Amino acid sequence: MMRFATLLKHPADWMTADDASSSVVLTSRVRLARNLAEAPFPGWARKKERQEVRKLLQEKVEALPVMKNGFSHELSTLVPLQKQVLVERHLISREQAARNEGSASVVNRKQTVSLMINEEDHLRIQAIRPSLQLKEAYQLAHSINQNLEGSVDFAVDSRLGYLTACPTNLGTGMRASSMLHLPGLVLSDQIGPVLKGIGKLGLAVRGLYGEGTESLGNLYQISNQSTLGESEEEILERLTRVIGDVARYETQAREKLVAEDEVMLRDRIGRATGTLSYAYIVSSKEALNHLSMLRLGADLGILPATLKGDCDRLVMETQPAHLQWKAGKKLEPEARDILRARMIRDQLHSSLPSAIDITEKNLTDT
Amino acid sequence: MEGATFKLPLEMKCDLCQEKATVFYTQVIDGKLKKSCLCEACAEAEGVTSPDGLLMPGEVFGEKELSPTPLDLMEESNEQETECPNCGFTLESLKRVGRLGCSKCYEVFGDEIDQRLPTLHKGVSHTGYVPEGLVKLHELKSELEKLNARLDEAISGEQYEEAACLRDEINALKKQEEGLVNP
Repeated sequence: MMRFATLLKHPADWMTADDASSSVVLTSRVRLARNLAEAPFPGWARKKERQEVRKLLQEKVEALPVMKNGFSHELSTLVPLQKQVLVERHLISREQAARNEGSASVVNRKQTVSLMINEEDHLRIQAIRPSLQLKEAYQLAHSINQNLEGSVDFAVDSRLGYLTACPTNLGTGMRASSMLHLPGLVLSDQIGPVLKGIGKLGLAVRGLYGEGTESLGNLYQISNQSTLGESEEEILERLTRVIGDVARYETQAREKLVAEDEVMLRDRIGRATGTLSYAYIVSSKEALNHLSMLRLGADLGILPATLKGDCDRLVMETQPAHLQWKAGKKLEPEARDILRARMIRDQLHSSLPSAIDITEKNLTDT
Repeated sequence: MEGATFKLPLEMKCDLCQEKATVFYTQVIDGKLKKSCLCEACAEAEGVTSPDGLLMPGEVFGEKELSPTPLDLMEESNEQETECPNCGFTLESLKRVGRLGCSKCYEVFGDEIDQRLPTLHKGVSHTGYVPEGLVKLHELKSELEKLNARLDEAISGEQYEEAACLRDEINALKKQEEGLVNP
């Protein structure tokens, strides 16, 4: 079985995509909520009932070929820091990290499939792909669902579809979402209307970590709200279309900024580069916001293209739990800010030897 | 104390009738302390001295109506509470947490759920993927319903020969259904 340390050592393909396809849409994920037909839902079940469900499902999912040699742990066997790391990697939810007894996380070796046992529902099948690949992510989750259906009796109703602990997930039980990096729309003050428009289409927009979080680092998550009354294909089709539109607006906004406001753009990117290259204390909020500018610079060719992957990895690795795991001990916020600054500084000094063009010859209008 | 002049503190008067107060009553309402002095007669009349009187009648003390005790709620809820026979979850809990106890709750609290669906979702019935066995089961069920209706008709029309045929058909389908439910 895969150890926790091994899981952390190897970032998944979707965490650091280096190709241009992920310049706006970073990742796509699809999760399916499933429940056993008779057992009480995790939130209402007794400890013993939760353990029985956990045991049954963990055995079934571990036996799937795609999960072979994967990571599979009951959450009560992990220390809080390890659970927090899994949350930061999006492999378990915050809600599940807070649950202990009878809850388990099973992740495949490639970290493209994450199964949550006894979160809000008995089973949540999550598949993650880089860039805008919602349909591919769905196919992956769906194939696991079909595999399990041969041996597990999931609760399905002919009228209401898959039955879930919360009626907001009824029907397909599917929540599909993409993570978008939208600095162009934010810098050109167009983000408000765009988000409003998405809301009007019955889709949800959230900050970096899902429900109830402010947007940091210009990262936004767009997902479907409704799960009943439309087929999976219809939901994915609509979502893919809207996300594609938003990505196009973002690209246009970036092009317009380059054409009309290049000095401002280079100033923002240059200041972020300067701060992160020489700062000794960097909070996670500051890191996310500056790394967002660096990523934009890499996308626009102002900074080396390879910096994009570095930024994505730093965003992941400079989160509080990741830092403490790396340090091998609990760190107070001040100590974390110092370690974070050092990691980013070290990375930038190796990625940016003196590659930043500081002449003004490229500027269109000075 | 002999020889010393010692006076009792000013005699307390009943809040309601100016008689000598002998019953002193302190209650905490909404975190505020409220002290009352009553004579024996008024206290009894207001029910303060009886065990039930522990919750003072609001109007006497000019307080807003008191909220019901947990005991009241329990009694009330026992009278009209629907409970899921499979998991014991109650309608009250559904209203409070917005989630259900088990998949069977969807049948038990069907009306309550159906009311909420239009505000939550684009539609009220599932049109997406369903496992293969379930589609067949669904088809069988609706076919059975039709046959049962025809059987009733045949019996009431005293067409016993047709009724016998229908009954055989129904039994055959029921066997198929059994096979799908418990393969």
